Amino acid sequence: MTAKPAEVQSAGRIEGGIDAIVIGASADGLAAAAYLGKAGLRTLLLEESAEIGGPVRARDIAPGITGIDGEHLLRILDPDVINELDLYRFGVKYAARRLDTVYYFDDGETLQLDGDLQHAADLMLDDDTRDQFGAFMGDALELSAFLRPAFAPLRSVSDENATKQALDKALGQASPEISALISRYALASIEDVLNAKFEDGPVKTLLTSEAAFLSGAAPHEAFSFMSFLRSLAGEMAGLQGALSYPEGGAVSIINALRRAVQAAKVEIRAAARVKSILIEWDRAAGVVLENGGQVRAPIIVNALDAQRAFLDMIGPDIIDIEFQRMLTAPRSHLASARVQITLKGAATNDATKENPGRRLVYAPPPEDVRRAFIDARAGRVPQNLIVEAIFPGALDTETALDGDVLLSAVAHPLPFDEAPDRRRRNEISAVILAMLEKIAPDIGDQVDIVDLRLPCDLARATGASSAAYAAKPAMMQQWALANISTSASDIGGVYFCGPEAQIGAGLSCTAGKNAAKAALREFKKRGGAL
Amino acid sequence: MIFPAADIIAEAPRPTPLFSAAASTSDANVWTSINGWSVARVMTSIESEYAVAKAGAVVADLGPIARYAVRGEDAAAFLARVTTVPAQRLDPGDSARGLILDDRGGVIDLAEVSRLSSDLFLLTTPTAHARRMKIAARGMAAIADDITEQVAVLGVFGPEASEALSAAGLKMPGDVVAASGMVRGVETAARPIQFGALPGVELIFPKEEALTVWGRLLRRGKVTPIGLDALEILRLESGAPRPGVDFIAADRARPGGARTPYELGLAHLAPLDSGGFNGRRGLRRFALEPRRQLITLSIDDEVSMPGAAVFAQDKAVGRITSCAWSPAIKRVVAFADISASCTAADYEIAVSGPADVRVAARVFETAESALALDFQRSQSGATDFRL
Repeated sequence: MTAKPAEVQSAGRIEGGIDAIVIGASADGLAAAAYLGKAGLRTLLLEESAEIGGPVRARDIAPGITGIDGEHLLRILDPDVINELDLYRFGVKYAARRLDTVYYFDDGETLQLDGDLQHAADLMLDDDTRDQFGAFMGDALELSAFLRPAFAPLRSVSDENATKQALDKALGQASPEISALISRYALASIEDVLNAKFEDGPVKTLLTSEAAFLSGAAPHEAFSFMSFLRSLAGEMAGLQGALSYPEGGAVSIINALRRAVQAAKVEIRAAARVKSILIEWDRAAGVVLENGGQVRAPIIVNALDAQRAFLDMIGPDIIDIEFQRMLTAPRSHLASARVQITLKGAATNDATKENPGRRLVYAPPPEDVRRAFIDARAGRVPQNLIVEAIFPGALDTETALDGDVLLSAVAHPLPFDEAPDRRRRNEISAVILAMLEKIAPDIGDQVDIVDLRLPCDLARATGASSAAYAAKPAMMQQWALANISTSASDIGGVYFCGPEAQIGAGLSCTAGKNAAKAALREFKKRGGAL
Repeated sequence: MIFPAADIIAEAPRPTPLFSAAASTSDANVWTSINGWSVARVMTSIESEYAVAKAGAVVADLGPIARYAVRGEDAAAFLARVTTVPAQRLDPGDSARGLILDDRGGVIDLAEVSRLSSDLFLLTTPTAHARRMKIAARGMAAIADDITEQVAVLGVFGPEASEALSAAGLKMPGDVVAASGMVRGVETAARPIQFGALPGVELIFPKEEALTVWGRLLRRGKVTPIGLDALEILRLESGAPRPGVDFIAADRARPGGARTPYELGLAHLAPLDSGGFNGRRGLRRFALEPRRQLITLSIDDEVSMPGAAVFAQDKAVGRITSCAWSPAIKRVVAFADISASCTAADYEIAVSGPADVRVAARVFETAESALALDFQRSQSGATDFRL
């Protein structure tokens, strides 16, 4: 570990000889630092807290019980980052490469879906529905794979035209079948698509929940089908649309990234809070630290949230007005909640006993999902939520707990609160527990400790603005925000890979990779030796 | 200051504080709507108003033009961000012209900034930008109050403008500096303005005093009210492009429809070395690739023909955006939006009608184009080390 106390390093003095500074040791910040260091740039990674990982970090949720904040499953981790940074060598291992999912419905029925979505034909359904479902998932997987390049900001500071041309070329090469799928689905709502394809029943119900899960777009809204395609565009462990659980949980990805950063000879400086970014002649010149020291560098990659990265650290007198308007525009009014529950003993009901190593999803009826979005947007806690649950101890023996069983769940959609009071938290916890009863009846009797994490909790832990961890808005808004934030107001040498630069929910690292690659292109263009 | 394009679909324009006074002296009674306010197009006749403006003193109701009182510790920095005017360099009493640009360097509007005191500025723009001001002020210790509806504004132009104001007892402490204070018991701000080549003064006072001041000027100052159509001729002669007519504001333009200061011949109002104005980075990227240019032409004809095609070497290169008959040069003066690659001095303009008839036109130097040319010459040997 090369981390050094910031106050010793730079208090009150000016440091030079550094090519690039990365602000924020989130997964994207770590990935960016690793890319830059690996390319030979003298890179400094500054993290204001004592821990790295941003919102993904291990934390004691009860005496002797460690939970992991942030993601509990991987769905869109960038395979390029894994390969190019050699993360397998640095310790990434999958405890479950592709999780099967068991859906629980309101009427008590269940349905199991193979983790390889191409195996939809194995579903226990009647022949017609199974064929329809298989054909539908085939189309959706093909389309989402084709659109994968589009699920990234199109605009980068140094290579805007090249990126757009690449996308135009890709879209221009679409086969007639893909073109037909794009024109049919691109603008559509998931509700319209499913109504046209399926009769009411379990398939329609589970697909509605999958499409709406973690999304800021309600199933009846335009472009909501795109959110579904985005979730399928990920590729985990070489399998498109799969969900994986890494050994040790998501924090193991952070640890692997940290090792990659260290191997790339990047200096990590913890407890080093950046006060502002130095801009000289509209180009990045370095950073001013909270302790009064300055570190000068021509490249700044910022992995904090956009409000802090631009409004606080650069300032309104430097950034452009339309850019500021986009950054401060109202965003999603929705949120997801992560809850980690310790149980007094293993789950005893049949459904959970049979499926401890699977992903368990409560899929409410489509009309209830729609109602939930309406309620959440109005600031009310919905009475029906989509809930995804796993038993980490069953998936990963490393985390098995004596006497207790840890249940990790994510619930969606919920209202976005800047500062929910205890009553509101209790209300949210109660609804989530009620939903978990649909998966594991009588689980309420076994609950010991309920640890609820809302966006404001993640924000408080990382120093970010709460809006950064609200549910991702509708796809078009995500695109706009990602494009504008990665343009960094056209300030030379400033690159952004904060939460707003990412399209789609989940641990991805694509934004960090893209920011670092854009920085390297510019560095090379300006005569930097690589 | 230039009026923006008329609101052709405005249903019920509001009366300005000077409306009843202007209406009582208007023989022609021809009105239009600017920014939702009623404005007289003609008072007596275009020709007579134009002639008085050239030889004597005229008065115009400038109430429809948007005005902001900008206060606060960061007022100068705020204005230097929102407009291309380096407001920090203005001393109390100084005024300067500039532009409002979008992030990519496209022109949104014209702007004039006057520093009335150390922390009070007056910003004047042809169209209102309330939302933009509000967003731009976030994070800065500056407040931009829209005072358009609270004040009456009149402009006195012409070679005898100063004498007319003196005769009316409205002479300001200085003829060339902006100032605010009490004049004959009326709280007033005044600043020097140019309308084309005509010098003048803009008076801003509480709307309750509108009729008093107007009456005093007409009775004792012997000024002649002037309407928008005569002002339009003066504008074209001076080479000042009109927002919404000669260019579409960048925040309303269709893709590819925004124009940079270079394309409008207003580069001298947005020098890249003058400060940290919004859009400078975008402008630096796109300024080197102008696609269009706005030029002034004098046309061998007697009728106006907005929208007419412009030809160079028998090839259509653009269109007329605005034009009017100029009694001074006895020809039509016009703005034309043409391809940036066209550098000809002589053009032909298509005349509307069944026959393919064209009339000759040539580039016409105006006060504004002369400033742009001087600026271009001054920049030709400069190096921008920041590129």
